[in-house]
Amino acid sequence: MLLLLVNQIINGLGTGAIYALIALGYTMVYGIVRLINFAHGDILMVGSYTSVLLMVNLGVPFPVALVASMLVCVVFGVVIERVAYKPLRGAPRICSLITAIGVSYLLQNSAQLIYSANPRPVPTVFQVAPLAIGKLNISFVTLITVAVAITLMILLTLFVQKSRMGKAMRAVSEDQGAAQLMGINVNVTISVTFAIGCALAGVGAFLYSMAYPLVFPTMGSMPGLKAFIAAVLGGIGVMPGAMLGGFIMGVAESLTKGFISTQLSDAVVYGILIVVLLVKPSGLLGSAVGEKV
Amino acid sequence: MKTNKFIAAMLVLVMAVGLLIPALAEDTIKIGGIGCLTGAYAMYGEGVRNGIDLYIQELNAAGGIDGKQVEVIWEDDEGDPAKATNAFNKLVQNDGVVAILGSVLTAATDSVAEFAAEEGIPMITASATAYHITTDRPNVFRTCFLDPFQGVSMANFAKEEFGATKLAVLYENGNEYSTGLKDTFVAQAEKNGQTIVGLEATVKDEMDFKAQLTKIKDAAPEVVFLPYYGREAALILTQAKELGLDVKFIGGDGISDIVGAIGDKSLLTNMYYSDHFTNSADSEMVKAFLSGYQAKYGEMPKISFSATGYDAALVLTNAIKSAGTTDYAAVVDAIKSSQVEGVSGVITFDDHNDPIKSAFILTFDETGSQVFVKQQNP
Repeated sequence: MLLLLVNQIINGLGTGAIYALIALGYTMVYGIVRLINFAHGDILMVGSYTSVLLMVNLGVPFPVALVASMLVCVVFGVVIERVAYKPLRGAPRICSLITAIGVSYLLQNSAQLIYSANPRPVPTVFQVAPLAIGKLNISFVTLITVAVAITLMILLTLFVQKSRMGKAMRAVSEDQGAAQLMGINVNVTISVTFAIGCALAGVGAFLYSMAYPLVFPTMGSMPGLKAFIAAVLGGIGVMPGAMLGGFIMGVAESLTKGFISTQLSDAVVYGILIVVLLVKPSGLLGSAVGEKV
Repeated sequence: MKTNKFIAAMLVLVMAVGLLIPALAEDTIKIGGIGCLTGAYAMYGEGVRNGIDLYIQELNAAGGIDGKQVEVIWEDDEGDPAKATNAFNKLVQNDGVVAILGSVLTAATDSVAEFAAEEGIPMITASATAYHITTDRPNVFRTCFLDPFQGVSMANFAKEEFGATKLAVLYENGNEYSTGLKDTFVAQAEKNGQTIVGLEATVKDEMDFKAQLTKIKDAAPEVVFLPYYGREAALILTQAKELGLDVKFIGGDGISDIVGAIGDKSLLTNMYYSDHFTNSADSEMVKAFLSGYQAKYGEMPKISFSATGYDAALVLTNAIKSAGTTDYAAVVDAIKSSQVEGVSGVITFDDHNDPIKSAFILTFDETGSQVFVKQQNP
């Protein structure tokens, strides 16, 4: 029983780490431009297709495919920001939200047109036997995912807290107009934010398609939605919060499936979200900041 | 004037021949064939017709039924229930057929079966798999098995091939195909004295099966039954390997498209599944069927319904032969009690007029090519 519990928690951490990685991208973009980028999950899909096509059709080794898929995600992210979101920066927030949904559908349907709706298999990259500790088996993909997610979260937090660009990001986040007056290039800062968020989606895409080796045009919507909830749960705009939210969701899902009911796993996750939002509307790690006037 | 006379003479001739036809007809047994021979589903209709025509040709070459030749009169219903009804009326009232083979699609077959049941005329469909087609219609049969029946074959296969006594089932809740197979598998396993040590459900479009697989691993089964389609089964096999769950996996015909969905093809060697028919089977009868088909149509059968069509014609003509008459009720009784070996297995009928017959068990090699294992008798 204890073994089963530990195993289920490990399963949950593996899933949670992927949610967390995607949630980092959501939370960064939201934190700086106050935009919920619904196309983020579809960027994940673009990244997955890129790495699969490169590995299967061109036979490139996986590190190259990983870097290439990050680059493609960055290009997509920056172009989408410039074309679809930037012209709406001054408009009411609902406009860019709707545009984001539009971009999401555009990406999904284009992929469907180009690659058809049939799922494609992802080649196995890590032919490594699961790590066995006594009767406990931990899959290599899970280990990698958790390690990568935590490392990236720490690096990203350091980047935002310590670097010049990070300072600029925080400034833009606080007050765009004032930041511009202080000589900060707002456009570049926002582009960099999108680029980093999408590069993270690229890494997430790679790890996601290692854990669930099938790619298809709508593959991004579910992890995208889950990651968004993870970001809100942990406190949107707060990076360690996205991490915490992702892990909580993954473990809650896994434990519900393992010990309560498969049908209820989503209900439990959303239930947690509702309770957290009722008790602490800014999320678990979010600080309650009054709306700026 | 001359032409008029000529036309008149021809008309007289035609009429005379017309009078002769009923006399000739005494020596042939006429069977009505209905199917979607044109339209979007023509592939199914043609497949069934090819199978039926092939058997009838072989039967006639071997002397027919008690010296009488058998003729199948084909009508196209385009898969449309109304046209199927018209075809049925034409065949029964104008052509005087003694039995019906068809129709092919479920909706068309259902309307034909409705009228056939009223008439009491023997009818066998080779392809309509909806459960209700044969319900309360004692003269309507089919030679294709219903999907859930595969659960029975696979439970027996697990017992006979692997000697498995501890089984687990992972299935998709809310999916009729999956739950249907699960129910018959569990029932048959209990009948066989096998224990179901784990019964886990998943939801639609699931990507992550690790929680359920972890529980199944904890229950330590010898064989895990996966009534899924290839997409889900590919994810399940991959995640099972990650968790170190090293057992045999078995499934139904939904598994057949797994090859295109799995990255690590070597995992497929642990996967066994059943199908209605396979061109790679190695029984003498299947080989003879395939070479006959190849000779007549210049290609291999494209769908398994060619085999069930062949068997439908076989069951029907055998029944007419053993009844010794074309009387509706006598033929229906003969079909009901038939036990014949067809290309798709040994066929008998249950209370619901569904066939109880063999399934073809297949697996894969490390490159993902299909490998025929055995014909699993019920």
